[in-house]
Amino acid sequence: MPQSVKHDYPSAPDESLVKWAQQGDTEAFEQLVFRHRDKIFARAMMMMRNEDQALELSQEAWVKAWQRLAQFQGESSFATWMTRIVINLCLDQIRRQKRVRTESIDEMQEESGGVERQLPVSDPNPTAGLEQDELRRRIDEALGKLTDAHRTVVVLHEFEGLEYKEIAKRVGISIGTVMSRLFYARRRLATLLQSLKRERSE
Amino acid sequence: MKTTDLTLDLQAYVDGELPSERRAAVEAALAGDANARELVAGLRRLSELVRANEPVLRVPASREFYWSQIQRQIERAENQEATRPAGFALGWLRWLVPAVGAAAVAVVISLRPGREEVTLAAGFDSVQTDSSAVVFRSESDGVTIHWIE
Repeated sequence: MPQSVKHDYPSAPDESLVKWAQQGDTEAFEQLVFRHRDKIFARAMMMMRNEDQALELSQEAWVKAWQRLAQFQGESSFATWMTRIVINLCLDQIRRQKRVRTESIDEMQEESGGVERQLPVSDPNPTAGLEQDELRRRIDEALGKLTDAHRTVVVLHEFEGLEYKEIAKRVGISIGTVMSRLFYARRRLATLLQSLKRERSE
Repeated sequence: MKTTDLTLDLQAYVDGELPSERRAAVEAALAGDANARELVAGLRRLSELVRANEPVLRVPASREFYWSQIQRQIERAENQEATRPAGFALGWLRWLVPAVGAAAVAVVISLRPGREEVTLAAGFDSVQTDSSAVVFRSESDGVTIHWIE
């Protein structure tokens, strides 16, 4: 790696760190890693639900980012660009593992049956009264109970804010499948959160 | 409109992804169908709840350890890149050796006296055309090779 030139890394904005890193400054790149590592790891963890894999893929994403840094022109934020890299790596990994294919009864029902209209959340807020940390933990748990295929569309839509069309392109499925997977995922999440309310009232 | 289509349209309405040509049908359903309204409200609540409470996860390793592993991988990749020309040449050598071998076999065959018809392997036919040329033809591969002396 080329030698670094000293800058005030901790207080520098991402744009400056990226510019320095593009010139071969590894300390600037390390600062970017330090700043965004939790988010990138969290996204990998959310997709893979396996800590070792998430760690490995998040590190691979940083290596790829370093190698492709010259391609980053600032069209999006650096964090968004990084997140795209890690998501693509996770999607590739999931495809390799063939985990997206029929892996659950949910998905088989999705393919063969119709979409039932009701969501099971009848309570306006089944999680009222929970501390935010606890609520986040419960939502994470519920996401962990979804199939990879369903969780992927939820993560891409709810957390990454991607449109159906973009999700379809990234995952390699039709827009109709994105819509039905998203609906089933939401229904399942609603069921899981509803059971959380029941647990708490018992 | 089928129930499935309407349900997914209601979801698309919540997500702001409903095509304009279907908006009228969805709005009509919402006006006259309490279940549709309940579904829309439920989808909105759930989406807001999930978005507002994205799980926070942290790298289960120290900054130094995490970075050192990345740094090592970057250095390894750069070293591999630096040694690529040698590897590239070796790659050519891998092709060169069998190519020279094949050429040598062809020369030996062509120099054998009185040998005008040759079968190299099962599935290959050979055809004699004249005393100074040998033709190998593979029907299955659709390939014909001529050696002209």
